[in-house]
Amino acid sequence: MFRFIVHRLNFLKAIPLFALIYDSCLKIGVLLTTPEKLNWFDELESEILSWEGTSISLHKFGGTQFNYGQKEIGHLHSNGLLDILFNKQVKQELLVSGRAEVHHIFKKSGWISFYISTENDLANAKFLLKKAYQNMI
Amino acid sequence: MKTPADKEFLGFLIPNVLIISIIAINRFLLQPESGGILVFSEFIILPILMGILAAWFWKDLKLSSKKLIWYSILNGFFAIVLSFFFLGEGTICLIIVSPLIFAFVTTGAFIGKEMFKKNKQTLNISFVSLLLAIFIVDSISDHHYENMVSDEIIIKATPDKIWKNVVAFDKINKPNDYWLFKAGMPSPMQTTVTGYKIGAGRKCIFSNGYTFDEKIVTYEENKNLTFDIVNQPKDPEIMGHIDIDRGQFLLQDNGDGTTTLVGNSWYKLQVFPTWYYDLWAESITRNVHLRVMEHIKLLSEE
Repeated sequence: MFRFIVHRLNFLKAIPLFALIYDSCLKIGVLLTTPEKLNWFDELESEILSWEGTSISLHKFGGTQFNYGQKEIGHLHSNGLLDILFNKQVKQELLVSGRAEVHHIFKKSGWISFYISTENDLANAKFLLKKAYQNMI
Repeated sequence: MKTPADKEFLGFLIPNVLIISIIAINRFLLQPESGGILVFSEFIILPILMGILAAWFWKDLKLSSKKLIWYSILNGFFAIVLSFFFLGEGTICLIIVSPLIFAFVTTGAFIGKEMFKKNKQTLNISFVSLLLAIFIVDSISDHHYENMVSDEIIIKATPDKIWKNVVAFDKINKPNDYWLFKAGMPSPMQTTVTGYKIGAGRKCIFSNGYTFDEKIVTYEENKNLTFDIVNQPKDPEIMGHIDIDRGQFLLQDNGDGTTTLVGNSWYKLQVFPTWYYDLWAESITRNVHLRVMEHIKLLSEE
């Protein structure tokens, strides 16, 4: 469903608030199906906010955006899809090591995606965000 | 100094009282001539504002995401219950609107959570003012939407055998299979006529006893029965939400002993956004058509 909306109905993101509302639907869906994920996302948010100079905001395409100063570290959609921008060399290393997948839309860019599906994935999500954060500071 | 429990409670109380009051004032005092048209911003902007306002009361409570979503759903549920008691909305309408309300209140709550974390008062006031401005402009704008729904079935009988069942038919005894009819939405039961000619009165009686009064405007035997709805019931499920204007049955002889029966309905929708509500209106109209047309098929093929 998420894949279909993002790929086929991508034009809808131009409608003001649409992406945020869609992300709220994901939140409600997660609450009803896998509520434990919301605790993991909160834990991830607390972890990132404990790093110096970080803040969070709403991502323009829905989800939570993690920032360092004015720059985006990455963003987490409410279905557990984490997107982070690296340079292409780091991206390649992460793909080879199996820590990340190619971005769900921008396959040729430096963006990577990582699905948080289990509690064990949380450690890798923190690792990826920390790596992006350290590249910025 | 307010306790956390006070703040939690106020996050439910104030947004609900405020939003219901705004809708009531808009509907009954400022726009009584609109006949109760519910504009898109009442379903989108106001729930988002409700979420933002609730988030303001809850901003110091550090609610987990899980709790914030549950609270938002609960806030939406309270708004729906208040609409039932104070705005006279029907149960089925409220079931239809509830997914929108839950999603928009939740969106507002998370927007509010981020807004009040940053504490940029000018930006916050500007954003809320913008939403209110959209609501006001939308409320005073003209809203008009008409649609026609068409369905057809094949009946193994000639038009002359089908015609009398099209004009009027006895009680439908078949159990409902459409989920909204099963949930309590009235379904068509019987049709009566005062005569088989143009100008004759026709009544479409629904399962809860409500009646649509109709007048035959085209009577071409074995071909075309068109009727205008001259009076529709004051049912809270439809009153002020949809006006059924006209109905029509067309019979097309297929030349092989079968007939294609086409059912058409024209209606005006008075709830917006239509991209959401017309999905429901089309689905309900289609299922009204099919229930009647399948009954006509059953009677005609006997």
